[in-house]
Amino acid sequence: MTAQLTNFAGTVIGKLVRLSLSFRRGGGHALPGLVVDSLLPKYVFSMLSQLPEGVVVVTGTNGKTTTTKIIIHLLRANGKKALTNPTGSNMVRGVASALIGKATFFGKLPYDIAVLEIDEASARLLVNKIKPRWVLALNVSRDQLDRYGEVDTIAKHIGATMRAATEGVIANANDPHLAKIGAEIAAKTTATVDYFGFDGSLREHFPSDYELAAVSKTKAETATKKPAVKLNKFSGQNVTYEIDGQNYSAELNLSGQHNFLNGTAALALVRKLLPEVSDADLMAELAKVSLAFGRGETYKLRNGAQVELVLVKNPASFRQALASYDAKNSQLMIAINDNIADSRDVSWLWDVSFSPLAGNLVALTSGQRAADMALRLQYDDVQVLAIEPDPKTALAQLSQRPGRKVILATYTAMLQLYRFLSKNAEKI
Amino acid sequence: MTTINILHLYPNEMNTYGDHGNGLALKRRIEWHGFKAMVHYHHPGSSIPKNIDIVVGGGGQDSAQADVQADILNISDALHKLAADDVPMLMVCGTYQLFGHRYVTHTGDAVKGISLFDAETVGGPKRMIGNVMVESEFGTLFGFENHSGQTTLGKSQEALGRVLRGNGNNGRDKTEGARTKNVFGTYMHGPFLPNNPAFCDYLIKLAVQNRSDTFEPKQIDDHLAELARAGARKRSY
Repeated sequence: MTAQLTNFAGTVIGKLVRLSLSFRRGGGHALPGLVVDSLLPKYVFSMLSQLPEGVVVVTGTNGKTTTTKIIIHLLRANGKKALTNPTGSNMVRGVASALIGKATFFGKLPYDIAVLEIDEASARLLVNKIKPRWVLALNVSRDQLDRYGEVDTIAKHIGATMRAATEGVIANANDPHLAKIGAEIAAKTTATVDYFGFDGSLREHFPSDYELAAVSKTKAETATKKPAVKLNKFSGQNVTYEIDGQNYSAELNLSGQHNFLNGTAALALVRKLLPEVSDADLMAELAKVSLAFGRGETYKLRNGAQVELVLVKNPASFRQALASYDAKNSQLMIAINDNIADSRDVSWLWDVSFSPLAGNLVALTSGQRAADMALRLQYDDVQVLAIEPDPKTALAQLSQRPGRKVILATYTAMLQLYRFLSKNAEKI
Repeated sequence: MTTINILHLYPNEMNTYGDHGNGLALKRRIEWHGFKAMVHYHHPGSSIPKNIDIVVGGGGQDSAQADVQADILNISDALHKLAADDVPMLMVCGTYQLFGHRYVTHTGDAVKGISLFDAETVGGPKRMIGNVMVESEFGTLFGFENHSGQTTLGKSQEALGRVLRGNGNNGRDKTEGARTKNVFGTYMHGPFLPNNPAFCDYLIKLAVQNRSDTFEPKQIDDHLAELARAGARKRSY
């Protein structure tokens, strides 16, 4: 089958599956991709091959969604038609579904470039189908170890993705796993290896996986090559990046200090994709990107109360969430489930330090592992007012409390809350 | 006030599955029982401090295990002496394996252990991952296992308990963990001690009594642990 025929046939089949699904209630948006990928295994590769400027992959444990968002903004602001996959659709069938949705009926993709966010574990399967030009590797951190076994296994998956890059990789210079893989690629292949990173003085804000759990401040290995873009300092939202030895400061609108680092990663990559655009212009454009706390999920309930939802999925992301909001003036609910997508092993809660909450109350713990969460907090001297395993009931109780209301939830607990909120609240 | 000295082995290398929680549980519960607690960290290359009352070690990655292998042989005599003095110890997963005779990886390389347990571990083809429930003389114990090593105990080696759910030492003989004098080994993360507070208090009692002090347990509010344990009882593997 020719590429054109594959694109046409796959897209038509996919769109028909999509259409038939739309008559039913509920989701299933990965199904068109699943069907087309199993009938035409070359579909994804063949479709993406149309893009004149190829494919870029963003991978790593944390920050994929946000970083992809920033990259897309920078590319579009500079006139590129950039395609991406929706949050969470980061497996083969999710990418295939996204392509079916974006393609014309004849299987044409009217875009210049694709920036795809790829799940670590699916990356191996996917990189052969998409042959990325560039791979941006953000970090390697302990995550769902009941699924991966060890952190080293996660590093292996991400390493395989990086090695698939045809033109080059951008890696986090301060992540020991990624620095090592980057050095190997630089030594053994002709691919370009560049880095982003942060100044040594900011280390306590951005611990690597090793530093997250280690007790002593031994030096973490960093890349020997100097990062092309470096986060030098920040104060409030005023951020200074060093790009090719030159300092640029700007007032950013990226809530959460971890997003300042994601901004560094995005800049390092986009400089490669848009060599004709000046660094000053890219900085100016970055200042226009606006990201809300968490992923900007704020809902207004029927009683007028507003709640903000933030996903916590592993020790590093939980830490970032705790560092990014004002614990003193917020009512907090923490919902922990232990389904496969959350991590069945809740030991990871003990790799999070809850010292940012010391002296504050947690209004509620919820989810299948509400009691485990409360037990964890007991050992860090954080008092929990109520334990309510059912997230909907817990939400109703939270909404009665005064002040700002924040919910930190694992993946499936978040989905339960979304389902309820989509019917009973208004998204702001 | 008596100070109980906790020695935490290899906190930088062996810390993958929240096992820091064991050191934290010991420290907090020692304090809640009215004693002082002091945590000492042992890193490769250093020697074991004097007056150690409790020793804990966690699980780690296979690569980290190789890093600590040489060191644990260096401190083997000191650990044997502490064990002979009835010092309570809890070794989880990776350190438990190193307390046996040896660990043979699935590629056939043998890593020597310190033989505090009459046990041998062989790397298996698949990881055993899931919720574990064990019956023991300390009551029902709950944890989460995540290991590919299969440990076989020698004929006279006492186990920590009998597996009611999960694989335990090897998935074949229903044994879980090991006990020699007051030295305990287990595959249970969770972490183990916060989820099994009675066992944690037992280690503390042994340590206090070794110091010729009387252990009069204070009332600790363990209703959250009880709630978590009730949840753990209902979980599937």
